[in-house]
Amino acid sequence: MHIYHRLMYSLGSGSLLLILTVTLTGCTDAVPQDVVEAIESLDRDLMDLRAAELSPDDYARFAHQWMALKTRVQAEDDLIHWPWESNELDLSLRRLYEEGVETVARITDQRKALGQAAERKLTSVEDRFHILTVQVRAIDSRLVLGQQLVETDLLVKQARAFFEEGQFERSIEASVKAGQMLTSQTDLLSSELGRYADHERIGRWQQMANETIAWSRRHHASAIVVSKADRVLTLYKNGQKVLSYPVRLGFNGIREKRYQGDGATPEGRYLIAGKRGQGQTQFYRALLLDYPNEEDRRRFQSARKTGLIPASKGIGGQIEIHGVENELAAQTLGCVMLENAHMISLYDRVEKGTPVTIVGALQEQNSVAQALASLGQRNDI
Amino acid sequence: MFEKLLNVAPIVLALVVATGCAKPPTEQIEAAEKAVADAQQSGASTYVAEEYAKIEGTLVALRKEVADQDAKFGLVRDYGKAEQLAVAAKADAERVKAEAEKKRDEAKAAALQAQHAAEESVKVTLDLVAKAPTGKDRAALEAIKADAEALKASLNQTQMAIDKADYQAAQKQAEAIREKSTAVSHEIETALAKIGKGKAAAKKK
Repeated sequence: MHIYHRLMYSLGSGSLLLILTVTLTGCTDAVPQDVVEAIESLDRDLMDLRAAELSPDDYARFAHQWMALKTRVQAEDDLIHWPWESNELDLSLRRLYEEGVETVARITDQRKALGQAAERKLTSVEDRFHILTVQVRAIDSRLVLGQQLVETDLLVKQARAFFEEGQFERSIEASVKAGQMLTSQTDLLSSELGRYADHERIGRWQQMANETIAWSRRHHASAIVVSKADRVLTLYKNGQKVLSYPVRLGFNGIREKRYQGDGATPEGRYLIAGKRGQGQTQFYRALLLDYPNEEDRRRFQSARKTGLIPASKGIGGQIEIHGVENELAAQTLGCVMLENAHMISLYDRVEKGTPVTIVGALQEQNSVAQALASLGQRNDI
Repeated sequence: MFEKLLNVAPIVLALVVATGCAKPPTEQIEAAEKAVADAQQSGASTYVAEEYAKIEGTLVALRKEVADQDAKFGLVRDYGKAEQLAVAAKADAERVKAEAEKKRDEAKAAALQAQHAAEESVKVTLDLVAKAPTGKDRAALEAIKADAEALKASLNQTQMAIDKADYQAAQKQAEAIREKSTAVSHEIETALAKIGKGKAAAKKK
């Protein structure tokens, strides 16, 4: 072949090779691996956020699109595109990536807001429960709520456990339920102990106490008034206050006495029916009261008829003002208990027939009324 | 004649191949759908929620592929990709089902363990209550007894949660019961100790 032709042939082949090389190096993979990895990273972020639990529709939309594109990614993994060819898969992946970034941001904000809401509700209900527990102990009304206090305690603990694990919706569910139980328990306390905040009732108690004091004045004799809410026993002589001592009541003392064994300390007008000195009682010294009196029997029969008191329960008795056998005992079975030193002082100043008036409270601002008011203010969850 | 047959053969062969790929892989699709349903039954949407959403997504992609092919002219339909998707969906669903069952079994085991610990703890509490005095000393324990009864009743709720397969709730509840019953037991022991100390002191007097 002539040299000229050889030269032209070489130039042509070289040009063709050059064009081919330039073209091929400009070609792109059909599947942009960097975008695929970025989307997989977004998916991991969404899983960490528990997106399927928190925002199931959002995650389903992302997952469905990703799975559809993933099948195409697997099918076109080894394909390349010419530079002038549009890559629809690439565009779809990039679009999914952008939507995924928005979804992650949205769910992150959602999760943060949910976490804050869960924490608010949990803190509120824990606070309310603490206050309820404190107030219930302060006024010895644990038995008024029975098992409910424990049920609420368990729910609050569960709410906290779910919160600590990041299960905010379940934490909120438990907190709301606990909040409802706290409201219900506050209502129960108000229902059972509302008389301590009732103006008319307190007025009647005040009248009973005043009449007892007036009797003491008229007869130049001793008389005792016990205020259950204040846990105070006051001795009057000639209508004047002689002494005043703190007392301990029944384990259910704050309630009205209904039947034997209920642990309540009765309210009413009584008389000292007997005195037991040292050696005659296990409680150092004791003043036996004439409970049940006529009013107690009438009330008991009425409650029995309406079914408020089980038929198996008796009216009870053996209600005393007594000293202490066990100095560490905080409560009685229904009696009024004084420290032994105070019991000696009282014992020698009274006699059989001395009136003893036991009332719920003598002041409107008594401990039980204040506890109820404090609890009523917290029903805000 | 023979030459004419040779000319036509490729066309016939092409037609046979085309019609072979022209039917949707119904069996494989049904198998995939059943596998996804089985995964759901195993609690996949609870225990491996994201993975379950993905296999649902694969099923959606499969149905779309079948619909796309159905919409084409008969001779150009190709369900090859749909078949691949169906096989992949079935395999993924079976994997997700296995994962869900594993996590469900783990959750159940944790719930049962917590329940057992709670029952043991409550038994200790109730045994202490049984030691409570029945005379005038019982006042100190009357209020606490109601707590012990409440804990015993709460164990029933834990069992109900387990019966409903809500293992997370059951575990949390059981752990709360164990914690509370430990506290109540301590309260009872303190009260019993006070009764004992008080009586001992009284005897000395």
